[in-house]
Amino acid sequence: MAMDIRKIKKLIEMLEESNLAELEIKEGEESIRISRAGSISPPPIHHHVVAAPAPAAPAAAEPAAAPAVTGHAVVSPMVGTVFRAPAPGSNPFVEIGSQVKVGDTLCIIEAMKMLNEIESDKAGTVKAILKENGQPVEYGEPLVIIE
Amino acid sequence: MSTRNELLKLLADGGFHSGTDMGERLGVSRAAVCKAIQALTDAGVGIHRVTGRGYRLEAPFRPLDRSRILRAVVKHGLKWKGGLDVLEQVDSTNLELLRQAQTAPIDGRVCVAEAQTGGRGRRGRGWVATPYRNILFSIAWRFESGSALIGGLSLAAGVAVLRALRAYGIDGAALKWPNDVIWIAPGILPNATLAHPCAAGGRKLAGLLIDVRGEAAGPLLAVIGLGLNVRIEARDAARIDQPWVDLSEIAGQAIDRDRLIALLIREFVEALRQFECAGFAAFKDEWQHHHYYSNKRVGLARAESPTLYGTVAGVDDQGALLLRDARGRVQTFHSGEISMRVAV
Repeated sequence: MAMDIRKIKKLIEMLEESNLAELEIKEGEESIRISRAGSISPPPIHHHVVAAPAPAAPAAAEPAAAPAVTGHAVVSPMVGTVFRAPAPGSNPFVEIGSQVKVGDTLCIIEAMKMLNEIESDKAGTVKAILKENGQPVEYGEPLVIIE
Repeated sequence: MSTRNELLKLLADGGFHSGTDMGERLGVSRAAVCKAIQALTDAGVGIHRVTGRGYRLEAPFRPLDRSRILRAVVKHGLKWKGGLDVLEQVDSTNLELLRQAQTAPIDGRVCVAEAQTGGRGRRGRGWVATPYRNILFSIAWRFESGSALIGGLSLAAGVAVLRALRAYGIDGAALKWPNDVIWIAPGILPNATLAHPCAAGGRKLAGLLIDVRGEAAGPLLAVIGLGLNVRIEARDAARIDQPWVDLSEIAGQAIDRDRLIALLIREFVEALRQFECAGFAAFKDEWQHHHYYSNKRVGLARAESPTLYGTVAGVDDQGALLLRDARGRVQTFHSGEISMRVAV
């Protein structure tokens, strides 16, 4: 590897001085990724987010904070198109309120005729479905919130 | 091997065979022969029955022969230990391999079938194939890297099919993004003109669909499914909703499916090994060279979205389609179906 130890040390210092959690540098075909202690796991595929507020909460007398859905977000591992059912016309894999186990299929993401089944990595109740059938999705975008 | 397959081997010569004679040769009763003939007829195999003479295939063909395929693989110089299933009937060869993967680690395993009851085509549509005459093929492959890294796999699979066809002696098939294998009609052909007057974009010879299971960060299992039209009978053709072609029409003679399957195994295994090492970069030039829609004006139909129009400007390093709009702006697409735009 052309990147020498001194260079790597310098990168570690840079990361420590910053408030970044992770740093990735690419040089031609070589790349290095440095993460802060504690985040040894691969790039966080699943993380905690606050989803968009539920629409049209009945107007309260005094302005309350918008009700937010919190929970575990399952995010897209790839760019593609979301399909909520195994085939057009069949029932969706999950609906809001569905109980899911680890490993249950939540949706399919299709890209270039590759059908990727997205499985739940958490057991619980589906609180929100953030991508509808046929919608494009980007890498890392949340798909489903589970609580 | 089942009675059905043994019967087909006897009938493969195209001559008449009596029920009694076939029963004796196979060591089964005449009633068992009768039952097997009925099962074949139900599966869509055309069999003539003439009193006093016996049974004869409407059009002679050979059923798939597993050991013949395996011998051909060795003859074609491939070292491969993935294993081969040759099934008479299955819901889908992809689903079969996905089921197998749940109970045992499979890598490089191939499944072919004479008939599918639930063959899948483009998004939710079925895949139509006359039983015992076509190639319904799947191969399972394990990748250590995650799904984001196998983007071009779909396109590389199309290149593997073209390579196998060429090795068999069929030149001139082309690709349509992401991986349809198409044939550009050389002249006026009956099913192009009558059934589909607008076959200018080529007729479909083969389709590919890939199922991916596993962790986002890897490892994952990809099952690549191929439906290759070898011989589509008229009664099945009526259910195909797009311009199509089969190898019998292209080659003008019977196709040795065993040999072609052996070549597909070789080309897929070699392409997948190449893809593992070098990714889509190793296939990109070859893919672009065979892309019939390069620089053509197309419509891109997408699920739940309006069709977009533009000029095909190639693919990116992940195999995504680049489309240039009227203003010269290039956009990247990962999903959708392209078709030739009829000039206005």
